[in-house]
Amino acid sequence: MTEKNNPELALEITKLIIEKLNILHVTAEEVNINSPLFGDDNELDLDSIDAIEIVVELQKTYGVRINNELPVREILYSIQSLVDFLTKENATKKII
Amino acid sequence: MDTKIDFQHKMSAHCETGTLTSLLSNVGLEITEPMAFGISHGIFFGYFKSKNFPFPTFIVRSRPGEIREKLSNALKIELKRFKFKNQEEGMQKLDSLLDEGHVVGTQVDFFYMDYLPEWIRVHNNVHFVNIIGKKDTDYIVSDSYHQRTANINSSLLKKARWAGGYMAPNGFLYYPLKVNPDVDLKKPIINGIKKACRNMLNIPIPFLGVKGIYKFADKINTWPQLTRDIEHLSHEIMKINILLEDQGTGGAGFRYMYATFLKQASNILNNPVLNEMSERIMEIGDDWRNISYFAAKIGKNRDLGANRIKELSELIRKQGDAEKKFFTDLKKVY
Repeated sequence: MTEKNNPELALEITKLIIEKLNILHVTAEEVNINSPLFGDDNELDLDSIDAIEIVVELQKTYGVRINNELPVREILYSIQSLVDFLTKENATKKII
Repeated sequence: MDTKIDFQHKMSAHCETGTLTSLLSNVGLEITEPMAFGISHGIFFGYFKSKNFPFPTFIVRSRPGEIREKLSNALKIELKRFKFKNQEEGMQKLDSLLDEGHVVGTQVDFFYMDYLPEWIRVHNNVHFVNIIGKKDTDYIVSDSYHQRTANINSSLLKKARWAGGYMAPNGFLYYPLKVNPDVDLKKPIINGIKKACRNMLNIPIPFLGVKGIYKFADKINTWPQLTRDIEHLSHEIMKINILLEDQGTGGAGFRYMYATFLKQASNILNNPVLNEMSERIMEIGDDWRNISYFAAKIGKNRDLGANRIKELSELIRKQGDAEKKFFTDLKKVY
């Protein structure tokens, strides 16, 4: 996936994840947007249950559906890959 | 002898359809993963309480291996299949097939696929991979869940092929012997749709098809009585999310994959109604995904009072209504 830097959107998505998943041990500003979101020692301490919450929140907030037609694992790799995906889908504006 | 067969590795949503379609593509038959799923009428629902499962569970697709078998019947693909009690014999057969230039579909216990991160590996006897070569004591694997081909040690592959337990692989191998690259998909698509509707609506068993969704909606209210404590209940409720979203379903318990199948079928059959049906099952998929989300949330927060379980039960019942209407309408198309 081509990287298209959009630090504002990256911060917005990080804040959304932190708020919806009730993450208390780290602030949005502290998160490395290129770090893997899942796997051992991920910064946000996310698990596979959190993945579905992120997918549903992205659909509610930006109107994008992440389904089998898309490379889900690549899209959910990091905050930056989520930014790239929303940019590619032209879905960077909140719908709610 | 070292071997590596020229093979286009692809990632996919689901291991059985992904392995199969890559294998077929390698011998000249191009078919998409959702198309293989749809023609083989893989979409399904069943709610089970059985001695094979420690706790009631549900399925959202046909039995593992059926997609391969139904697709090969529908498209007249000739497959060679082998099972082995003797492990040495089974490993030798794999070597000889590779030496003959065949890429070989293989059933394994997912847990032993050590090129994948440890945190996603669980014991699951019905994972499928393609073996595309051998180098020294390693086999070269094309696993549709991995970004690139990977190596696995011979002794580990042997463990994976002869893992014990429910749906044990028994060293299962297969490869396509003959395909028709120009096969006409129209009739198989229509037959696949008809059979999916029949399976979802007309099997006279109260826990299969749409009836299974209603059974699930009813029975989930009894789960608090079947569990040891809140931790156990929470674990079982969160498993709903795993079964719907996390096991190569393409999302929403294969409903998104079926939507993609109907969209592709609409183009091939030049029938816009199928495109409308695709949109409808996509929306039904969104509602399954919301159920996953709801289950994950209440499970994780241990928010599991009777009202919450009842709320979950009602959401599942609505899915029963939606799928009943959907498959009844789909049945009318052909």
